[in-house]
Amino acid sequence: MNVMASQPSKTDSVVGAQGLGKTFGGGAVVALEDASFDIRPGSFVSLVGPSGCGKSTLLRLIAGLIERTSGNLQVHGKEVTDPRTDVGMMFQKATLLDWRTAVENVLLPTEVSRAVTKEDQKNAAELLRMVGLKDFLFAFPSQLSGGMQQRVALARLLQTGADVLLLDEPFGALDEFTRERLNVELMRIVKEVQATTLFVTHNIAEAIFLADQVFVMTPRPGRIAKIVDVPFDRPRPLSIQTSPEFNTLVAEVRDILGEDH
Amino acid sequence: MSVHDAIPMPEQRGGLSLRKRRLIIHASIFLGLIALWEICSRLGWLDPLFYPRPSSILHSFWLIYFQNANVWYHLYTTMVLVLAGFIGGSILGIGLGALVGFNAVIRRFLKPYVIVLEATPRIAVAPLLIAALGFGASSKIAIIVLVCFFAPFINTLSGVVNVNEERLELFRSLGASKMQTLRKLVLPDAVPVIMAGERLALTAALSGALVAEFIQRDKGIGSLILVYSRNLNMASAFACIFTLTILGFLIFRGMEWLDHRIAYWKNEAGMERVAAKRAAQMGDLNV
Amino acid sequence: MSDVSSPKAPGTADHLMFRILPHLVLFAVLLLIWEMAVRTGIITSIIIPAPSKIIGAIWELYVTKGTIYRHFFITFTEAVVGFAIGAGVAVTLAVCSALWDPFKRYVSPYAIVLNVTPGIALTPIIIAWFGYGMGSKIALAAVISFFPIFVNTLTGLIQRDEDREELFRSIGATDAQIFRKLRVPAALPLLFAGLKIGLTTALIGAVVAEFAQATDGVGVLMSRFSFQLNMAASLATLLSMTVIGLILFYSMEFLDDRIVFWRRESRGAAASRAKARAWKSRMGQ
Ligand SMILES: Nc1ncnc2c1ncn2[C@@H]1O[C@H](COP(=O)(O)OP(=O)(O)OP(=O)(O)O)[C@@H](O)[C@H]1O
Ligand SMILES: [Mg+2]
Repeated sequence: MNVMASQPSKTDSVVGAQGLGKTFGGGAVVALEDASFDIRPGSFVSLVGPSGCGKSTLLRLIAGLIERTSGNLQVHGKEVTDPRTDVGMMFQKATLLDWRTAVENVLLPTEVSRAVTKEDQKNAAELLRMVGLKDFLFAFPSQLSGGMQQRVALARLLQTGADVLLLDEPFGALDEFTRERLNVELMRIVKEVQATTLFVTHNIAEAIFLADQVFVMTPRPGRIAKIVDVPFDRPRPLSIQTSPEFNTLVAEVRDILGEDH
Repeated sequence: MSVHDAIPMPEQRGGLSLRKRRLIIHASIFLGLIALWEICSRLGWLDPLFYPRPSSILHSFWLIYFQNANVWYHLYTTMVLVLAGFIGGSILGIGLGALVGFNAVIRRFLKPYVIVLEATPRIAVAPLLIAALGFGASSKIAIIVLVCFFAPFINTLSGVVNVNEERLELFRSLGASKMQTLRKLVLPDAVPVIMAGERLALTAALSGALVAEFIQRDKGIGSLILVYSRNLNMASAFACIFTLTILGFLIFRGMEWLDHRIAYWKNEAGMERVAAKRAAQMGDLNV
Repeated sequence: MSDVSSPKAPGTADHLMFRILPHLVLFAVLLLIWEMAVRTGIITSIIIPAPSKIIGAIWELYVTKGTIYRHFFITFTEAVVGFAIGAGVAVTLAVCSALWDPFKRYVSPYAIVLNVTPGIALTPIIIAWFGYGMGSKIALAAVISFFPIFVNTLTGLIQRDEDREELFRSIGATDAQIFRKLRVPAALPLLFAGLKIGLTTALIGAVVAEFAQATDGVGVLMSRFSFQLNMAASLATLLSMTVIGLILFYSMEFLDDRIVFWRRESRGAAASRAKARAWKSRMGQ
């Protein structure tokens, strides 16, 4: 292992990457190239960029779902090889199990690692209350709206107890109002549980609004074109989006992305 | 007729509701057909030797169920066969389907044989099996197993193979073992499809039993129909057929009920029932 | 396009050979094991004949004696004619039901009764009615192939696509035009699914009626060989039923592909989009 590259990860980075790359089809498709970054504990990182720029690929690499083809990647200073319990992932679709009630869906991660206790059940119920579903503990997925299903998926993600949360366009399929409300809640919740969060979105304003750092990515080949720091404190009010500083950041990101956005 | 009568009145409260009116139309069509049949027969337009009168079918019902009471034994024999064959075929079909579904190599090499098997009328193997296993219950059950194993097999296979990619990814991200993925994802996910296969299988089992009995001509409702038709006792043959209609209807309803119980998340009542059960199991979840 | 000429491109003869070869090898090995098992007496050969015996029987049936062809033709005709009648009645009734609500309401109970009754049970009665010849086989084939076709066609026709219907109305289409240009094409995939099931069922009807009472047809041949304990010939006959089944199924599949072409189109389109994407990302490299 490259000693110099892994050095910073030992100190203050939760997720660290050095020259990370992923190709598909024996090198025919470069999904991600030469990504290097260090993510501080408890920080919120947004990944923004056009379709095909490797956002999902980066997340799936960190989750240990796919193997990298070059470079290094550590979570909590340990090389990523397999899916692990300190990293949790949430997808664009809720991917709930139809035959389980909301609580049982939230309990799935616990069930997979050990026997479920009364405490776990209470914790799951508490998480569902936290995402605003206290009256739907025993509802089945088909009885919930899209937004509610996504909240259950969020509760399930939190139930994993992971302190690195990966969210791949989690609210992308929802309407504008629901999405905005869920974004505000998400910001509050991840602050509360002190998780390090990577959040994928197509929306520049959303990316900036939520994050401490924005990874601006460009396609063909997929790479991180720039890491933009967002200087506001979290959580923030929605009204910050109309401030001039905010709009300068939006313009900056849009500039990097070029005519695609 | 007054003008008012011509105006449709769907919200009519008094008098006959729409439902009652329809029921009456249904009944009159049915009774009309029966009467027409009876009259045609009595006028000599339909040969009662081949096309028995409704009244004589009714009489035959009374004969075979009560006076001679011979149908019970045959009905019982057939039902036992059907159940035995259905259970055997289901176990074989679901088991093989799961095995093949989980193993891509077996699946690949089995595919041509499945295509061939699908195109063959499986009931056609009946004489072969009877010749090989001899007359009696064992060859009949073998025939039923063979005709009814295919639907559960194919459905289990496709249910297991067509697992949602995203859910699989979720299980992988949770670090679930192969066994956990199987028990908590793949099998429950396949249940509705498997149940659909089971419905087809039970119907096929009944047909298989009948064919086996036609060939063996010893006992069972199939042999009874055959004997009655041979003797041109068509009224009794029809009474047996309508018995099978009732049986078929009960089977249909029974499987529907079972389906609703097992694939409970596909219907409102089932979800309510299980939700209440879970709530009771977990008790107080307040911290 | 450089990748088209590459030797691994799908669809070329090399590729096909490469795919089929393992299957052939496995098949040959299985036959060999089977043959050995019978020859060494591990399997008693009365019940399960050796493959060589079966091949011999096929040779005799199809080449030296040629007995099979007449029976093959008879059963094939029974199944196809029965299917045509069953399908004709089923589609007509389904269309009437779809067009005219009262018809559907007052006819469907009888269709349901017919569905829950195992059609096979009618075999002896139909033979009494239509005699020992081909008529009874055709009738049984028609009766039992009726329901799957009827129910599929009706389901296809009564499913309503409100958005598209509104679009048709907005451009001033009449009810008849909506039926012809929207509802019928939308029902076709299900209709064909029903027809495919119906064909298989018709063949079963023909064969079962032959078992019960007949002088000609592969069903007769099959039971005759079986009860003579001539298992090799019996299996060879069974194989001819498979052939009939395959011919019927694939001719319907062919029609399906031709007539319901948009399904294949969309599959093709998805594939071509995926290809285009891969191509683009390679170009950008
Ligand atoms: N399993 C795979 N096999 C082959 N190519 C893949 C695979 N997964 C992703 N790719 C390719 O890698 C590139 C990056 O894909 P990725 O899914 O990471 O993009 P994305 O930024 O998440 O896009 P989107 O915003 O559309 O979700 C794309 O060109 C894609 O076609
Ligand atoms: Mg993506």
